[in-house]
Amino acid sequence: MRLRLSFDVPNRRDLRVFGGYCLAAAVYIAIGVTWVDFLFSFWVGLAYLVIVAWLVPTLVRRLV
Amino acid sequence: MSWAAHDLEPYAIQKHTGLKLAFVPLLIGSYSPDMMTKWFVYGIHLGPWDLKASDPAQFHRGWPGFGFTHSFIYGVAVGLIIWKVFGSKLWGVSFIVGQAAHAITDTGDTVGTMLLFPWTFHFHLDAWAYAGQTGRFTDAAAYFSGLGSMWDAVWIVYGLYSWRVLTSAYFDNYIFRADAFWPWLNRTIPRGALLTLYRAAFFYGTSRWIAWTIWAHVIHHYPYDLSWGGPHWVPAAHP
Repeated sequence: MRLRLSFDVPNRRDLRVFGGYCLAAAVYIAIGVTWVDFLFSFWVGLAYLVIVAWLVPTLVRRLV
Repeated sequence: MSWAAHDLEPYAIQKHTGLKLAFVPLLIGSYSPDMMTKWFVYGIHLGPWDLKASDPAQFHRGWPGFGFTHSFIYGVAVGLIIWKVFGSKLWGVSFIVGQAAHAITDTGDTVGTMLLFPWTFHFHLDAWAYAGQTGRFTDAAAYFSGLGSMWDAVWIVYGLYSWRVLTSAYFDNYIFRADAFWPWLNRTIPRGALLTLYRAAFFYGTSRWIAWTIWAHVIHHYPYDLSWGGPHWVPAAHP
């Protein structure tokens, strides 16, 4: 009997979404390291993510 | 105290419970022990007034103080109130699980928590230094130099390993279906925005873990001390 390891691999679309969040995280981290007060509030993080990961892409999709 | 584990643990718990728990009360439960107390632990300036606990560790984790917020009985009491007031057993139980996760995680530091309050014994593993009394910046530097940040890292890695819990399909099949709160929100907020809200705590916990690590070790060069109870360059509080 042969055992085969299988990994749950994300598809291209999953990776594209993940890449978008990584980009949003990079900007968030850059702002946070420069101005650490930005890192303290969950609500600031939540608002930032909604704007960057949902609102902006939605507006861009509507305009293009 | 923990800085990112409380953001990340609910995703791991959700992964193993599926439809049995609701994510929002799980997250609220995970945040609840510190919700009313953290600002007074670190202190704030309000015009001419400086408001800060005279003994932050005692105020945060002790009795007399607000340490009972880190006990099982507090989670159960609030969970029962939620169940009765909102008529949702799912929300009540989910809150209890989230709050218990927070209380147990915080036993990792040198002050620990009174898990079995009204018994005022502090359960503490002493794995990392409690330094809340030093102010939020020194506390951040200390936390992200010791085993506490490594414990957070475990949850980040586990979350990324369990990446499906963050996908759109998982949100639709489990998070949205398990809890009537999401369809209610969906009457005014588009589904795409709800998915972003669901992912926010993971994003917040992971991003600020990275940001604080860079701040502590690249910008300010605080030394890592991953020994048990460290970092020992900061005066750790004890019960």
